[in-house]
Parts: sequence; structure tokens; C-alpha cells
Amino acid sequence: MADTTLRASAARHAGGVYWRSLVAQIRAITEYPADFWVMASAGVMWNVLQFAFLTVLFAAVPDVAGWRYHEMLMLSGLLTVAAGSTALLCDGVWSTGTYVLKGEIDYRITRPAPVVVQVATSHIGMQGFGEVGFGLVMVAYGWIGAGMGLAAVPVGVLGLACAIVIECALITALCAVNFWLKGNNSIFAFVLLDLQHNAMTMPLALFPAAVKIVTMFVVPVAFVNFVPVAVLTGHLTSWWLVGPPLTAAASVLLAAGLYRLGLRSYDSSGH
Amino acid sequence: MPILEARNLTKTFRRPDKASGFKGAVKHLVQRKYKNYTAVDGIDLSIEAGESVAYVGPNGAGKSTTVKLLTGILRPSEGTVRVMGRDPHVERIPNAHDIGVLFGQRTQLWWDLPVEESLKLLKHMYGVSDADYKARLARFDDLLDLGEFMPALARTLSLGQRMRADLACALIHAPKMVYLDEPTIGLDISVKDRLRAFLRELVDDGTTLLLTSHDLADIEEVCERIVVIDKGAIAYDGPIQQLKAHYITTKAVNLFLEGPADVPALAEKFPEYAWAAGEAPSEVVVTYESNRFTTAEVLGGLTAQLAPRDLSLSEPSIEDVIRRLYAGELTK
Repeated sequence: MADTTLRASAARHAGGVYWRSLVAQIRAITEYPADFWVMASAGVMWNVLQFAFLTVLFAAVPDVAGWRYHEMLMLSGLLTVAAGSTALLCDGVWSTGTYVLKGEIDYRITRPAPVVVQVATSHIGMQGFGEVGFGLVMVAYGWIGAGMGLAAVPVGVLGLACAIVIECALITALCAVNFWLKGNNSIFAFVLLDLQHNAMTMPLALFPAAVKIVTMFVVPVAFVNFVPVAVLTGHLTSWWLVGPPLTAAASVLLAAGLYRLGLRSYDSSGH
Repeated sequence: MPILEARNLTKTFRRPDKASGFKGAVKHLVQRKYKNYTAVDGIDLSIEAGESVAYVGPNGAGKSTTVKLLTGILRPSEGTVRVMGRDPHVERIPNAHDIGVLFGQRTQLWWDLPVEESLKLLKHMYGVSDADYKARLARFDDLLDLGEFMPALARTLSLGQRMRADLACALIHAPKMVYLDEPTIGLDISVKDRLRAFLRELVDDGTTLLLTSHDLADIEEVCERIVVIDKGAIAYDGPIQQLKAHYITTKAVNLFLEGPADVPALAEKFPEYAWAAGEAPSEVVVTYESNRFTTAEVLGGLTAQLAPRDLSLSEPSIEDVIRRLYAGELTK
């Protein structure tokens, strides 16, 4: 009982530190207004191209593997929101490799808050504002166009929340690999994003079984956008809805565990 | 019970073993070899509450690595550390509430935020009450003149301002054990003086302090005990006064004579002292063993016989002693 209370108190404290650090970073963004507008616009531009591609494609074909235009917009939009959210909520984890090489984890270890929380909130990717904004527009446009009503909103919100948690956790886990690789760049996290942009903006039915297995059970990115949108649009049964919350929980545990293990092998710099 | 206790503390790092140049780098890509490097080698260290300990050694001696082991940043390869009975790496968060750390070469300020915002973030992280926060800030402002740059962004601060702000960050939660790694590096003399006065006050208030510095004036002014480390092992551990008393066995008098000094003739006349020419032709340096002769005896005899127009006394500084310890000329 006492242990549970302590854990709950530690989690509340970590949440408080996370929120305050994030707000502080947003305040810091105001120091660089030009950077903000350029990056936010860049985030929108990339997704405008994706929107245009889908519009042109569906002008020529009525559906892709049974998926219609507005359903595909929701698929791309949800992925865009999830990816953009990582830039807003945990962009600092991309710097894990640099921090490890330069010994910049040192101070964070000596403070009474989870290191992963301090690293995640050390930076905000300003392109995330554009990505999340435009992604939400794509989801809303697709939602209305696909004829989905308000009754499905709770499922949509659950799917969106799980998508953000899974995406943040997977990126964090793959960036934590740099505790051992000792490199500046988070190669595995880049590969994940590439995999998502190539495979997860199209229906999984288009791909061979190996891709389905990998994206469902090895690197479960299918639960970020494909599964929730497929359930919402009736391509999968509602039983699949247990998948995103379970995947979210497993991904968070994986990320926290890998980061903790990484800290055990942290060597700092200048010895 | 000591506030800090390390037993057989050892840290070994793995370093790439590659030949120099482009060829060596390419070969290392496909045929990776490593060798072990022991930065800290079986250190035993015990610090009582309220002590102020200087931890000194030449570059690469293992000072910073020891501090990182004691603060829980690194895990020891062998041995144990206990700070207030806790393993600082395993019980990281409870330990963090009781320690304050400053690395002079780095800052913990949020780069694009005003100093006061960084302090507020730390206030919340450490759970400092509003009343304590205000009282501590007022004290820091009094001693470190924080007020003048509290609204400034961290990236706009001078080195001296940055160091004072970092010191406030390290102490905002009133830690019981404070580790300061090169806190005066790169500072001008007035800022150094201010920091040293602040540290003396901190020690007087009962805070336990472990200070590493290459500036031995920091050490003499702030610490009572000195631990000298060399090649990862402790070369000396004891009170600074004892180190001086034990190793400083000679004193010197500079005599300024009326005419040019004839050093060989003086050495022949007073063979019990060592004689050397000074910087000026009329200056001569007389060195004597302080446990054989009193200064009064030496001065009395020499002034009576040589009638110098002026003289000055000097004794080797702690720097000389430590330099000789580093060079292996002195032993424990």
C-alpha cells in the first residue's frame, strides 16, 4: 500500500516536472520567432504534398485495396498527428546520442526526476506545430467525408491518444539505443519513421505477409494509425481495439526499461 | 557515521585501441580492438558531516571520475560508495535530494530561459517550498549578487555570472553534501574572491563540501582537509596544516645588501645555510631548515654581520608541496 502511494507520488512528480519543462521550452521558442514560423511552415508543406498526392491518386482510381479517399486521408492524417506529436512532446530524445557523447546526461542524473523526462523535454521540434495542425485537418476532413458521426468520437480519441503514446515510446526506445551505439544520430528512430512513411500511409493489405507481421508484432507501428482507422472505418472488427492500449503500455515499458538500462552503461565524457 | 564512504572505489573504462591516421581509423572500422583504462584505482575515502575536503590532482588523475562515481553519475567497476547510507547510483532520486553538484566546465541552466526560470524549474523539481525558495534566493543575491542578471537569458551571461547562477542552482534545495568540480575555472580574481567567501560561509553553516580545483588558493581558503590523487590512487589524505607542517621544512630570507653579493664567499662564511643569488646583483637568497633554526636566530645573526639595507621572508606555498607530490619527490 505504502509502496503504491510512493509510486503514485513519484509519477505525479515526474508528470509535474514534464509539464513545467515543456511549458518552459515553449516559452523559449518565443526567443526565435523566425525559426518558429519557418519550421512550422515546413511541417505543413510536407503534408500538403501528401494530401495532394492522395487527391491526385483518387482522381484516377476509386479505391486502393478497398480503402476510399477519405479513409486514406484519415490514415495519413493520424500518422502525421502522431509523428508531429513526438516533435512537440519528446523531441529531446533525438538528442540522446549527442548528450551521451558529450556527457550532458551528468546533471540530469543528479536531479530528482526521471532522466528520460528531462531529456525528452530538453527541446521542442517546431515543425510539430505545423504537422499536428495539418494532420488534424486531414483527419477531420477524412472523418466528415467518410460519413462518420459523433458516436465514433470516443473511439477516435482513444485511437489518437494511443497513437501518440506508441509513437513517442517507440522513438524514445530506439533513441535509447545510442547509449550503446555511441553515435550522434538516432539511426534506428529514423528507420522507424521511414518505415511508417513508406508502409503505413497505405492499407496493409497491399503488402506481403512479412511486412504485416513486422508492423503488427515486431515494431508495432500498425497500431499507431492503421489499426484504429481500420476499426473506425469497418475494415477490421472492433475486437482489434484492445490492440492500441496494450501496445501503448508495452511500448512505454520498453522505452522506460531501455532508457534505464542505458543509464547503467552511461560513461559520461572527459575521464 | 561518515556522510560519505567509498571503499576500494575503482572505475575502468574501455577505450578504442587504434593506430593513428586514416589507415588506423579504417582498420578500426572492421577490426575493433579495445584496451582498458583504469581512471580510479581502489580509492578509500571517508568524509564526516561538516568537513570541507579538497580533492586535488594533476590533469587526468581521476578527480572528475571520482566525483561522478560519488554522485551516482557513473557506476563503479569495483568497490562501493555510500552517501548518507545510500548507493548513489541505485538510489538515485533520494540521493539527489541530499546532494548539490556543480561542474565548472558545464552549465545546468536552461540555455534559452532567464536564470530565474531555471531556478524555478529546479525549485519544483526539488520540491522546495515558496518560503525556503525566497529566503535562499535572498541569501544568494546577498552573497553572489544574483539580482543583476536574474532576468537575463542564460546564453547571454558572462562566465562569472554563469558560474554564480550555477552555484545557486546547485544549492537551491539546501543539500547536505555538495560536490564542486572546478568552480572557479576561468573566473577573474574579484569573482573568485566572492565565490570563496560564499563557500566559506557554506562550510561554516555545516554543509559538507568536496571541492576539486587546480587553483590551490581555493583550497587553502575554503578547505581544512586535502586529498591528493595521482594516477587514480590517493597520494595524500590529511589536514592541510599537517601537510604543510610535514613537508614544508625550509624557509627562506631574501637579503638586499649594500653592494653586489658574493655568494660563494657567503656560503663559505655561513655553511649551515644554503645560499643562492637573487634577481638583483645585490640580492641573495638564504634558505634554512625551519626545524633546526628559528627565524629570529637566522635574522639576528645575518643582520648583525651583513647589515642588509632590506630583507623579506618567504616560505614554500602549498602549491610547491603539491607540485612536488605530483612529481613523486615526496611520499606519504
